[in-house]
Amino acid sequence: MDFPEFSSGIEDKEAVVQSLFWVGGALCLVATILPLVLLFRPSRLLRQAALWVLLAGTGAISAAAILVISRSLDLHLTLLSITPQLALSFRLDKLSCFFVVIIGAVSFCAVIYSITYIAHYKSERSKQFLTSGLAFFILAMLLVVASSTTFGFLFFWELMSLSSFFLVMFDLDKPETQKAGIFYFAMTQMGTIFLLASFLLLYRFTGSFDISAAGNIPQWGKGLVFVSLFIGFGTKAGIIPFHKWLPYAHSASPSNVSALMSGVMLKVPIYGLVRFIIDVFRPDLWWGIVLLFFGSITALLGIIYAFKEHDLKKMLAYCSIENLGVIVVGLGLYVIFDFYGLRVQADLCIYGALFHTLNHALFKSSLFMTAGSVVQATGTRDIEQMGGLIKRMPGTGAIFLVGACAIAALPPLNGFASEIMIFQAYLTSFSLGRPILEILLMAGLAALALTSTLAAACFAKAFGIIFLARPRSGAASAAKEAPFAQLLAPGILAALCVGFGVFSYQLISNVKSGMPLPDILPIGIIVLVLTGVTFLLLLLTRSPVRKTETWGCGIPSQTGKMEYSGDGFSEPIVTVFKPVFRTRKLSTREFYDKYNSIPKSSSGEIGTLKFFEERLYVPIARFFMKIAGAVSNLHNVDMDALILYSFIAVVLVILGVGWWL
Amino acid sequence: MNWNTAVYIVMNPLFALVLSPLVLGLIKTVKARIQGRPGPPVLQQYYQLRKLFHKEIVYSEDSSFIVRLGPYLGIAFMLTASLFVPMVFIPQTGWFGNIILFFYLMITAKFFMVLGGLDAGSTFGGMGSSREMTVSSIIEPVTIMSCAALAFVLKTTSIPEMFRTLLAGSIFSYPTLILVGISLFIILIVESARVPVDNPETHLELTMIHEAMILEQSGPKLALVELASGVRQTVLMALLINVTFPWGLAGLAGCASLLLAAVTMAVKMLILAATVGLFESLLAKIRFFRLPDFFMIALFLSFITIVFELLR
Amino acid sequence: MMNTGITGDLIEVLFVLILGTAAFVITQRALRSLFTLYAIQSVILAAIAVVLFAEHRTVSLLFIALLTLVIKGFVIPAFLRRTLVVLPTKRDIEFSYLTPASSILLSAVLLFIVYTSFSNVAEVLFSDRLFFLGGVIGVSLALMGMMVIFSRKKVVSKIVGYLTMENGVLLFGLFIAEMPFIIEVLIVIDLFMLIVLSTIMAFGIDSSIEAFHKKLTQLGMRFED
Repeated sequence: MDFPEFSSGIEDKEAVVQSLFWVGGALCLVATILPLVLLFRPSRLLRQAALWVLLAGTGAISAAAILVISRSLDLHLTLLSITPQLALSFRLDKLSCFFVVIIGAVSFCAVIYSITYIAHYKSERSKQFLTSGLAFFILAMLLVVASSTTFGFLFFWELMSLSSFFLVMFDLDKPETQKAGIFYFAMTQMGTIFLLASFLLLYRFTGSFDISAAGNIPQWGKGLVFVSLFIGFGTKAGIIPFHKWLPYAHSASPSNVSALMSGVMLKVPIYGLVRFIIDVFRPDLWWGIVLLFFGSITALLGIIYAFKEHDLKKMLAYCSIENLGVIVVGLGLYVIFDFYGLRVQADLCIYGALFHTLNHALFKSSLFMTAGSVVQATGTRDIEQMGGLIKRMPGTGAIFLVGACAIAALPPLNGFASEIMIFQAYLTSFSLGRPILEILLMAGLAALALTSTLAAACFAKAFGIIFLARPRSGAASAAKEAPFAQLLAPGILAALCVGFGVFSYQLISNVKSGMPLPDILPIGIIVLVLTGVTFLLLLLTRSPVRKTETWGCGIPSQTGKMEYSGDGFSEPIVTVFKPVFRTRKLSTREFYDKYNSIPKSSSGEIGTLKFFEERLYVPIARFFMKIAGAVSNLHNVDMDALILYSFIAVVLVILGVGWWL
Repeated sequence: MNWNTAVYIVMNPLFALVLSPLVLGLIKTVKARIQGRPGPPVLQQYYQLRKLFHKEIVYSEDSSFIVRLGPYLGIAFMLTASLFVPMVFIPQTGWFGNIILFFYLMITAKFFMVLGGLDAGSTFGGMGSSREMTVSSIIEPVTIMSCAALAFVLKTTSIPEMFRTLLAGSIFSYPTLILVGISLFIILIVESARVPVDNPETHLELTMIHEAMILEQSGPKLALVELASGVRQTVLMALLINVTFPWGLAGLAGCASLLLAAVTMAVKMLILAATVGLFESLLAKIRFFRLPDFFMIALFLSFITIVFELLR
Repeated sequence: MMNTGITGDLIEVLFVLILGTAAFVITQRALRSLFTLYAIQSVILAAIAVVLFAEHRTVSLLFIALLTLVIKGFVIPAFLRRTLVVLPTKRDIEFSYLTPASSILLSAVLLFIVYTSFSNVAEVLFSDRLFFLGGVIGVSLALMGMMVIFSRKKVVSKIVGYLTMENGVLLFGLFIAEMPFIIEVLIVIDLFMLIVLSTIMAFGIDSSIEAFHKKLTQLGMRFED
C-alpha cells in the first residue's frame, strides 16, 4: 500500500499519530460524561451528541492506528506516571494497532447501530446510562490493547470488565439477566485473579512491569506464568472449560453491547496471548500442544452446543466460542511450527490466526447487529417463533446471509480466507519429522474440518428457519424492516467481509509475501461471470413463470406450523452427537401414604446435562461456599475470641519479622 | 491470461457439462441391466434436460430470492470447482488447483441448494436439507483427511501439480494411493448421493436425502440443478481416475493430443461409471443413523493411511 | 533399514486392508457378513505371508500361508456358516459398553498407544521398520478382536472376535521372529478345540452368555439370587 509521501520526516507523522490518539481518547471520555451531565432531566440531544462525539473519537483513534500500521511506526506514549515502575503508558506498534483497528472499526459501526437501537428502550435515564456505558467500555478496550505495562493492562482490563458488567446487567428487572450478570462478574474476576498472579510472578522474575521481552526465567517459572495467563485470558475468551458465562451474558445484554462483546471484547484476551507468546517469552513446545488441545475441544464442543439452541443470541454466542477455538488452534500451531523451525507454516498459522480474529470481529458483530434488529422487530429471541422474515425485512435478511456465508467459511468470503491459511499449514507440515506429534496434528485437522462444516450446517439452519418460508407466529408476520442506521452498520461490516475475502491474497501478500495461498480474486470473478452467463442463457429460453402455493400433499391451507422447525433441522446432528448432549430424564413422585398408592404430585423433566455447569462449576462453587461459610462462622464469636485472634496475629507478625528480615 | 489458460477455462467445464448426462445415463443402464430389465436409453438424460428447458417455472408463493438465485449460484460454483480438476490437459496457470478450495466450492454450491430446500416452506424440503447437511458434515473429516493424505504423498496441495507428479512417475511409484483411492471412492458415493448412502431413484420422500431438497425446483431451474449434480459427480470421478490412473492426460494443448486425451478420459469415465453402477446394485441403502458408523470406518481407513505415510 | 521397494509398499497396503476388515467386523451386525469378513481377513494374512516369502525365502512362511488360507480362509468360515442354519435370528444388534463408532475411535487411539510404547523396545525385538509396523498392527488387531468379544452379546460374534485375536497374534508372530512351523499347527488345533468347546458349552450356539448363566442357575450350578 503506497501512501503519498508527506514532505516532512518521520517525527511529523509520529506527532500526527500522537495527537490523533490523545484527541480520540479525550473525545471518548467526553462521550462518556456528556449523557450523565443533566441526569435529572435526561436530554435526547445530549445523547445523540454523545454518540456523534463517540463516533469521532473512535474514528480518530482508528485513523491513528492505520497510520501506525501503514508506516510501521513504534510509538511509546505515557499518560500518567505514579512511580517510574507503575505507569499508565502505551505502546503503538503494528500488533497493538492491528487490534486497535479491529476494536475501533467495529465500535464505529456499533455506535452507528446504536443511534436508532437505543431509541426503543423505555426509560430515558437508562438510555443515558447505556450511551455513557458504551463509550466508557469502548475507551477501556482501546486502552487495554494499547498498554505497554502490565500495570496499565490490568487497570484498563478491570475497567473494561466493570463497564461490560454494568452493560450486561442493563435489563435489571429480568431474573435471567441478573443471573447472567452475576455469573459473568464472578468468572471475569476469577480470570483477573489469575492474570494478576501471572503479572506479579512476572514482576518477581524480571523486576519490571513492562510488557517486553523477558530475560532469563527458570523453566518452572515460565510454565507457571503461562498456565495462569492461559486461565486468565481463556476465561475472558471463552475457552472450554471456562466458557459457561458467554452464552448467558451475550444473550441477556442489549444487542449493540452483545455485538461489541462478541466481536471485540473476546479479541482482547487474544491480543494478550499473542503479545505474551510472541514478544515476551520464547514459548516451549508444550504450550503449543496445550493451546492446540484446548482450542480444538473449544471449537468442536462450541459448535455442537450451538446446534441445540433455540435462542438466537445464545446460538451466536456458542458460535463465537467455536471461532475463538479456531483462533487458539492457530496460535498453538504457530508455537509448534515455530519450535521446529518451519518458518512458512508458522507464518501461515500466526497470520491466519490474526486474520481470523479480524474476520470474526467483522462477521460476528454484523450477525449480532442483524440478530438484534430481528429480535427487536419480532419481540422474541426464540427462532421457533420466527420465519418468513426475508419478505418483511429484506435488507436485514440479505446482510445476515452474507454474515452466515462468511462464518460458514464459504469461498470467496473472508471466513474461508482465514481458515484456509490454517488448513494450508496443516497440509504442508509433512516435514515435521516427529511422527507422534504429526498424528496429534492430524487428529486436530479432522476436528477442524468437522467444526467448519458443522458451522455451515448451523447457519443454514439459522438463516433458513428465521428468514425463509412462512412466519411461525403472529409477531413474525407483523415484523417491520429495521431503520436505516441499523442496516448501514452491519452493511458496512458485511461489505468488508466480502472485500477481505475476495482480496485476501492481495492483502496478505502485501503484509508478508511468499505464502502458499490460493488467489481468490479470479475465483470470485469467474463465479460472477458464470452466474451472469447462465442467467442470460436462461432468459433466452423464455420460460413462463407461475406462482402457486407450496405442494403439501393436498392439504388445502398450510400454516407456519407445517414447516420444518429448527429442532427438526438439527435433530439428525443432535442424534449423531448424542453422547455429547446426554439427555437426562428425571421424574419424581410424591404420595400421601407410605404404601405409595395415593399420588400427591409428580414431576417429570427431560433436559440436557449441563455438563460443565453441574460437574465442574457447581462443585467448585459449593466448595468455596463451604469455606466462606466456615470463615464467616469465625466472625460470629464473642469479644474474647476476637482478642484471641489479634493476639495470634501479633505473635505471627513478630515471628515473621524475626525469621525473614 | 494467456492462450493456454483461456482454452482451459472454456474447455474443462464444457467437457464436464457435456459428459455428465452420459455418465448418469450409463449408471442407470448398468443398474437396470443387472436388475434384468432393459432400462432407459443411455442418452435419456440429454432428452430429459432438453425437455426441462422447455417447461414453465413454478414458484411457491412463500419462496424468496433464494430459490430464484440458488440454481444459478449452484451451477456457477460447481463449474468453477470443475476448473480445479484437469480432465483433458494440465494447464500452466497457477490460479486453480488448491484442493481445499476445490472441496469448499462444492460445499458452497450445496449450501445454496440446502437453503433452497428450506425456502418453500414444505416439510420435505426441510427434511432433505437437514439430512444433506448432516451427511455433509460427517463426511467432511474423511474428505480433508484424504486431501491431507494426497498432499503428504505427492508433496503438494495443488491438484494439477499432483497430476503432473503422478504422470512423471510409473504405476508403482505410489502404491499407498490405492488406499486414498478407496477413500475417494467412498467420498464419491456420498457426494453424488448414490446407494448405499442415498438412493437417487427413490421417489418416497421419507427415504430421500438429496432429492428431497430439490423437490420444489422446476423447469429450466431444475435442469440447472440436475446439471450441477451431474458435474459434481463427473468432477469427483475425474479426481479419482486421475489419482489412480492418470495416463492419458495431455501435458500440452496441441489439437491432436487434446482429442486423444478427451477420448481417453471419456472411456475411463465410462468404465468407472459402470463400476459405480455395479457397486450400487450389489448393496442396499444403509439406514440413516447407521451412516456415521460407515463414515467412521472410512475416517479410520484414511487416518491410518496418513499414519502409515508419516511413519515411513 | 526398511526393505523399500514394491514388497514393502505392498505389505503396507495389506496392513491397512487388514485393519479395515477388523473395523468392519466391529460394526457389522449381519452374522453372515462377519464370517465373510473373517475369511477375507485370513486371505489377506496369507497374502502377507506369501509376500514375505517372496522377500525372505523361508519355506515355513509358505506353509503358514497355505495353512492359514485353507483352514482359516475356507474351513472355519464354512463350519460357522453351517451352524448359521439353526439360528433363529441372523443378526446381532446389541452392543454393550461400547458403541461401534466409539470402538473405532478407541482402536485408532490404541494403535497410537501400541506404537508409542513399542517404539522403545523396537530395536531389541524387530529387525527392521517394516517388521516393527507389522508387530504393532498384529497387537492392534488382537486388541480389536478383544473389543469385539466384550462388546457383543451373541456367542457367535464373540467367536469371530476370538478368531480375529488369533489372527492378530499370528501376524505379530510372523514379524517378531522366525516362527517354527510346529507352533502354527499347534495354534490351529487350539482354535479347533476352542470352537468346538464353546459351541457345546453354550448349550446350543444361539444363546448369549445371559441365557447360559440362566441355565446354569436353573441347574443349581451357580449360587446367585
